[in-house]
Amino acid sequence: MASGRPGFSRWLQPTDPMASDLNLRIVIVDESPVRAAILSEGLREAGYVNVLRVEGHKNLLERIYAIDPDVILIDLEDPSRDTIEQMFQMSREVKRPVAMFVDQSDGKTIEAAIAAGVASYVVDGLRKDRVKPILETTISRFRAFARLKEELEEAKSQLEERKLVDRAKLILMKMKNIDEQAAYGLMRRTAMNEKKRMVDIAQSVITAAEMLR
Amino acid sequence: MRRLAMGFIPLTDAAVLIAAAERGFSMAEGLDIDLHKEVSWANIRDKVNVGLLDGAHMLGPLAIASSLGLGHVRVPLVVPFALNLNGSALTIAKDVYAEMGDTGIDLSTAPAAARALGRVVAQRRAAGREPLIFASVYSFSTHTYLVRNFLKAGGVDPDRDVRLVVIPPPFMAESLRNGLVHGFCVGSPWNSVAVDADVGRIAVLGAEIFGWVPEKVLGVHARFANAESDVLHRLVRALYAAARWCEDPANHEDLARLLGEPRHLSLPADVLRRTLDGRLHTAPGGPLRAHQDYLVLHRDGANRPEPDHALWMYSQIVEAHQGEWTPDAAREAISVYRPDIFDHAVGHTPVRHTAEPDCVATRLGAPFDAPRFLATGK
Repeated sequence: MASGRPGFSRWLQPTDPMASDLNLRIVIVDESPVRAAILSEGLREAGYVNVLRVEGHKNLLERIYAIDPDVILIDLEDPSRDTIEQMFQMSREVKRPVAMFVDQSDGKTIEAAIAAGVASYVVDGLRKDRVKPILETTISRFRAFARLKEELEEAKSQLEERKLVDRAKLILMKMKNIDEQAAYGLMRRTAMNEKKRMVDIAQSVITAAEMLR
Repeated sequence: MRRLAMGFIPLTDAAVLIAAAERGFSMAEGLDIDLHKEVSWANIRDKVNVGLLDGAHMLGPLAIASSLGLGHVRVPLVVPFALNLNGSALTIAKDVYAEMGDTGIDLSTAPAAARALGRVVAQRRAAGREPLIFASVYSFSTHTYLVRNFLKAGGVDPDRDVRLVVIPPPFMAESLRNGLVHGFCVGSPWNSVAVDADVGRIAVLGAEIFGWVPEKVLGVHARFANAESDVLHRLVRALYAAARWCEDPANHEDLARLLGEPRHLSLPADVLRRTLDGRLHTAPGGPLRAHQDYLVLHRDGANRPEPDHALWMYSQIVEAHQGEWTPDAAREAISVYRPDIFDHAVGHTPVRHTAEPDCVATRLGAPFDAPRFLATGK
């Protein structure tokens, strides 16, 4: 048996090592419901059936103790990491399962996880190869979420930029008494001549108009 | 211009690093510091480990523990600069503080407050009530050791009579309000934040327990220190100049405003100003508890990483059962602190504070005997 933890055999099926891996209890600590959903979906697709999300900081440790996880995955931006790490030192005294960071020798995985924005804690004695697929799924899902967020932010900033250009266009139309197309053309030419972006020219127009008001 | 990514946790004692980056001291050394606000000490350690950060504002005991591989994977760190000494306080929940007052003991001195707390703990145990819960911000921190020493001075066994937990600083006041904890030790300004929210009372300043105690340091990966010694020397010089600027009361108003900005601590400048000046309200609108050494950012050689301080922190790690004593680990702990880098960068050894009776100016409990500890682990 990979883990000497009492109670582990309760639900471990020793005859089928693959099934026992898929039974590993995984806790996700992430305040982002969307990312947590994307991650737990990924882990379920990979066959892991015991995936639970813990949210909020109140009694976090008690809830994690109650679940008694084999693996904890936590968002790097969650301030509870320090609280969770203390649990590993306390465990000696309160007879809780001792959890530790992923294998020290696996520097590459640690690096990839930190860069993707996630940290993992693994119950002591669990072999690296049993945890590796979990970490790989986590890292790729966290990366996918970051890309999604970037795209959303880009779309949002594009929308903001369009709003600024529209506002500047209206100001020019009113001040110079020109039509929409001429106002747009004027900003475009200025942007090209000054080697600036349209939105920067629009911002200058708006700022100038506010100052001259 | 060499760019450096430096991490910090939103605390008053990130002042020297923030001032170095934002008030021209790093520029003067040809360095461009990008500050990264982090939410946990674990993040600080891990990001320095994998190289996402070149260095960081760090708890002294965290630097020692990481280098020894305690509590986590081993990350060899180098400490060439001490960002501050002292700066913590112990805040007790209002109801527990009232119980301490009910003992009839005058709570105005640290030994008396410790005795009063000891009596409250004993009374609660006799009445069959749940043990009190005290929080610090990280297991390997001077805060943890301040709590333990304060409890022991009151006759309380920190391992048996109470529970010790870790809570991130911004949640401290809230946890006190919800009754999740009964007291905590944290750096400024979070004690003042709890007092201003009327959920706790400052019972004792850290400087009343240890008068000259290591707190935050600049920690960098040994890999970086070895590969770029010139950059590190420039960084230490920039920090030294920034620390001198921060120490001057004439700059406290500007510094408090800088620290209060949303990208840094995101807190009111007047609260920060009080902690910089070492004047703290112990109760809302109540008396000020002032201490000239409440937070020391520069003077009397405070920035020089003293090997005795590293050894003291290791002795506290051993005392708290966080690591076993071995002569090798003791020597390794001392070698994390690098006064040689500091002296080379600054060009001289500053006049040292004459701490009495030991290197941390112990005010409560037995003095630290460094040679004996190095020889015997006791």
